[in-house]
Amino acid sequence: MLDSFEVLTTSGVVLWSRTYVPVGASAINALIQDIFIEERGTVGDAARPTYKRDGYTLKWRTAKDLGLIFVAVYQSLLSISWIDKLLDNVRALFTELYRDQLKVPRTTRVECPFDPYFDRQIKELEQEANNATTRSFTDSSAAEITPPGSEANELSAEEHPAVSGLRKAAKKPMYQDSTSTDVTPIATPDASRPNSPAHLLKAKAGPGGRVSRRSRKAAAVVTSSPAAASSGDESSANRRAAPKGGKKKMRKWDAEGLADEDDGVNLDYSAPAAEGERPVESLEGVDQGSWGTRTATGEFTLKDIGDEMDAILQSANAKDAKAADGSSGLVGSSLGAIGGLFRNVVGGKKLTREDLNKSLKGMEEHLLKKNVAREAAVRLCDSVEQDLIGMKTGSFTSVEATIRGAMERALRQILTPTSPLDLLREIQAVQGKRPYVISIVGVNGVGKSTNLSKICYFLLQNKYRVLIAAGDTFRSGAVEQLRVHTRNLRELTARQNAGEVDLYERGYGKDAATIARDAVTYAAQQGFDVVLIDTAGRRHNDQRLMSSLEKFAKMAQPDKILMVGEALVGSDAVQQARNFDAAFGAGRRLDGFIVSKCDTVGDMVGTLVSMVHATGIPVLFLGTGQHYSDLRTLRVESVVELLMRT
Amino acid sequence: MAWHSPDGWLTQGLAPHVSTITITFIITLALPIFVHWYLYRSRAATVTPKFLVLGPSGAGKTALITTLERGAPTATHTSLTPLTIAAPLPATHTPSSARYRSTNDAALRLVPILFTDTPGHGKLRHLALGLITPAPPTPPPTGLIFVVDAAALSSEADNAGLRDAAEYLHDVLLALQRAYERAKSSVAREIPLVVVAGKLDLFTALPAGVVRSLLEAEIGRVRETKARGIVGVGKGGDGLGGEEVVEEGALGGRAEGKFEFGVMEEWGIKVSVVGGNVRGEGPGVTGLWDWVAGQI
Ligand SMILES: Nc1nc2c(ncn2[C@@H]2O[C@H](COP(=O)(O)OP(=O)(O)OP(=O)(O)O)[C@@H](O)[C@H]2O)c(=O)[nH]1
Ligand SMILES: [Mg+2]
Repeated sequence: MLDSFEVLTTSGVVLWSRTYVPVGASAINALIQDIFIEERGTVGDAARPTYKRDGYTLKWRTAKDLGLIFVAVYQSLLSISWIDKLLDNVRALFTELYRDQLKVPRTTRVECPFDPYFDRQIKELEQEANNATTRSFTDSSAAEITPPGSEANELSAEEHPAVSGLRKAAKKPMYQDSTSTDVTPIATPDASRPNSPAHLLKAKAGPGGRVSRRSRKAAAVVTSSPAAASSGDESSANRRAAPKGGKKKMRKWDAEGLADEDDGVNLDYSAPAAEGERPVESLEGVDQGSWGTRTATGEFTLKDIGDEMDAILQSANAKDAKAADGSSGLVGSSLGAIGGLFRNVVGGKKLTREDLNKSLKGMEEHLLKKNVAREAAVRLCDSVEQDLIGMKTGSFTSVEATIRGAMERALRQILTPTSPLDLLREIQAVQGKRPYVISIVGVNGVGKSTNLSKICYFLLQNKYRVLIAAGDTFRSGAVEQLRVHTRNLRELTARQNAGEVDLYERGYGKDAATIARDAVTYAAQQGFDVVLIDTAGRRHNDQRLMSSLEKFAKMAQPDKILMVGEALVGSDAVQQARNFDAAFGAGRRLDGFIVSKCDTVGDMVGTLVSMVHATGIPVLFLGTGQHYSDLRTLRVESVVELLMRT
Repeated sequence: MAWHSPDGWLTQGLAPHVSTITITFIITLALPIFVHWYLYRSRAATVTPKFLVLGPSGAGKTALITTLERGAPTATHTSLTPLTIAAPLPATHTPSSARYRSTNDAALRLVPILFTDTPGHGKLRHLALGLITPAPPTPPPTGLIFVVDAAALSSEADNAGLRDAAEYLHDVLLALQRAYERAKSSVAREIPLVVVAGKLDLFTALPAGVVRSLLEAEIGRVRETKARGIVGVGKGGDGLGGEEVVEEGALGGRAEGKFEFGVMEEWGIKVSVVGGNVRGEGPGVTGLWDWVAGQI
C-alpha cells in the first residue's frame, strides 16, 4: 500500500499530504536533492520517473508552471501498478482545482480540501486494479453519465477564495469541493473566470435568499436526483448564453446559506446546489435522474466528486490530446503565428516544444562550439527544455533570451560543487595524527606530474611537509621527471623559507599500489603532513591497467583521488571521467577533477562541463600555465560567462 | 557697535518691533513642524520593508517564514526556488520609526513586511547571493536574516554543520562588504543582519551567545584558509589564462587573528544574534520580530 503522498511547492512548502505510514521528511528531501538539484539517480523513463532510497520507492510528477511537485512514497518491496495513474490524476485535479489560489503571489496559503478527491481516486484505482474485468464497465458508465460541464457552471464564482468575500465559503471544505470541482470541467475555464466577481456582487445584493434556500432545500430532499443530474451539454450551452443574472443570484444564496450553516450535514450540500438549477433547466435532468444510486444522499456526494473528477480528468486529457494534435486550421495557425511572433518580442508567450526546439538547436550548436561533448550538450538542452516547456516568457524577453537564462542557470548549477572543498582545512584536521594522502590519476600526457608539483608548491607555501611518491613505475623517465620537480621545489622553498619536500622512489617495474602504501607508512613515521602520489598514465579504455586502480585505492587509502584531464580533450572527456570514476571499485569514487592546459583553449572551456556532467564530481583546480604558481580554483561565474559568450 | 548700544542687534532683537515679533512668531510655528518632519521622515520614505532569509540547508528557513506568515509552521522539504511572503508586523511590536506615534495611530496597523526565503543547498546559494545585491532598479533588502540550526552546531573539532554555516555566513558578509566598498563613492547603505539561532526547542541546541562565539571563531578560520588557499581564475579576458587575478581584501580587512562581528560595522553591517524556534517550547519568534521592528 501507499505509505505517503505529498503535494509540495518547489519552494519547499508542503501544501497537502496524506500519510498512511510515517516515512519521515528525509526520503523526499533526498529525492529533491538528488534528482532536482544534482540531477542524478533517476530510474525509469522520463515520463514515469522513479527514485529508490532506503527501501522506499518514490515516484513523482511536476507541474512546472505552478511550481508543484507531487510525490508518492511506498515500500520498494511492493509494486503498485496504479501509482503512475494516481500521480497523473492527482496532478490534473490539483492543478485544475487550485490553480488560481496557487497563482496568488506572496503567500504560501492554499486552501486545499483535497482529501475527498484523493480518497476517491485511491478507491477507484484500487478497485480498478482488483477487478480488472468489471472495471471497464463501471468506468465507462461513470464517464457517460457525466459529460464535461455537468451542473458545473453556476458556481464558478465560488471557486476562488482569493476573490474577496469568499473566504467564508471556503471554510467549509465539503462545500467548496463541490463548487470548485463543478466549475472546472467547463471547456474554457479561463474565459469563465473573469466574470465571476461580477456575479458575486449581484448575488450579494439579492434579497430573500435565505428563505428560498430553505424551501428549496426541503424540496431538494425529495427531488434531488433529477436536479443533480441535470446536466452537461445543455447547461453549459446555457451559461454561454448571455442573460443569466437571475440564475446566478439564486446560486449565490445557496452558497451563503450553506457556508453559514455549520451544523449542516455535509452530504447535503449537493442537493440544494443542484436544486438551484432546477427551475431553469430541469427537463433533461429528469430522465437522467433515474439513476438509482443517486437518490441516497451519501452516494450522492461521492458520485458528485467522482463526476467532477472524471470531468476534470477528461478535460485535462482532451487538452493534452489537443496540444499533441498541434495546429488547428489555416486561419488559426497563421493568426497564432503572428501572435507568437508578437509575443516573442513582448513576452508572455507560453513556450511549447516547437518554440524551444529551434532555439535549442542553436544553443546546442553553440555549446558544441565551446567544446562541450555532444552527449553533455544534448542532455543540458534536454533539461533546459524540460524546465521551460509550459512556462511563460517574461515581459520583453524573447524565447532565445529565456533559453539563455535557463542554460546559464543550468550550467551554474552543474559547475557549483555541493560542498566546496577546503583542502587546507582538511589537512589541518588530520595534521599530527596521520599524513593526508592525495593521489593523482589520468590518461597519458595530460600533465599529472606537472599538476602534482603545482599542488605540492601550493602546500609548501603553506608550510607543510610534503612527500611525493613516485607511483609511475611504468613509463621510463617518469621518476626522473619527479626528481627534477622535487629539486626545483626544494630550491624554491629554501629561498622562500616555506615547507619541506621529499621524494619517495623505488625505481621501475614494481607494483605501484605497494609503493603507494609503503610511501604512506614512511610518511607517517617521518612526520610528513601530506603525501602526493603520482600514478602511471593509462588509457581509460585499457581494461588491464584500469583494473589495477582498484587495488591501488584499497592499499593506499587516499583521502582524495583527483583526476587530471586536458581542457583540449573534447568529447572524449565524458568517457574518460566515467571510466576513471568507476575504476576504484564499489564505494570509492573520484573526488575531483583538475583540468590542465586551460590557458591554451581560450573560451572553449567545454571540457569542464563535460566532465562534471558525466559524473557529478566537481572541478577543483585548473592548470593555467607553465609555472608552479599557475594553479587556480574554479570560479563558476567566469566559466559560465566564457561558455555563454558568443 | 557694542551689543548694549540702542542700535545693537541684541537690543533690537528684544525690542517690540514688528519684524522681531513676526520672525519669532514664524519660528514658533515652524519649529514643531520641523521636528515632526525630522522624526517621521524615515517612516515616510520607507517602501515596503523587505528581508532576505538565508542560511544553510535544513536550518529551518522555510519553516520560519511560514511561521511568520501564519503563526505556525508547515511541513517543509528542501527548497529549490526562492519564495516571498508578506507578513504583517504583529500588533505587539512597534516599528522603531514609529515609536513616537500613538498606539492608536492608524498608520501603524498592518505594516506588510516581505520575507524572501532562499534555498540553502550548496548548488543553489548563488540565487540567494544574487538577491543580496540585486541589479540597480531593484532596491537591496532592508535587512538579512541568517538562520542556523543551533542544534547542528557543536564545538567539536571539524563539525560539518558549523563549518558549512560559517562558510556561508562568511560569503554573505564578504558580499556585503564588497558591495559597500563599491558603493562608497556615492551612497553606501548600511545593512543590518541578524543571525537566528533556530530550533532552540531541541535539547541539543546551543544558546544564542554560544552560537555567536562559535560562528565568530569558525569564520576566523574560514577567512584564514581562504586567504592562504589557491586563488580563483581571473575574470574577463579571452579565457581562463593566468594573468588577471584580482587580489581582493579579506573579510573584515585582514585575514589573521580573531574575527568578531563587531568589525563589520566599519562596512555598515550591523550583526546581531537572537535565538528562536518555531516548534515546541522555547522563545518562539518574538526575538526575531523585535529585531525586525527595530529595522523598519
Ligand atoms: N524542532 C524544531 N524543528 C524545526 C524548527 N525549525 C525548523 N525545523 C525543522 O527543520 C527541518 C528543515 O526546515 P526547513 O525550513 O525545510 O529548512 P530550510 O532552511 O528551508 O532548508 P532548505 O530549504 O533546504 O534551505 C524541517 O523538518 C523543520 O520541521 C524548530 O524551531 N524546531
Ligand atoms: Mg527551505
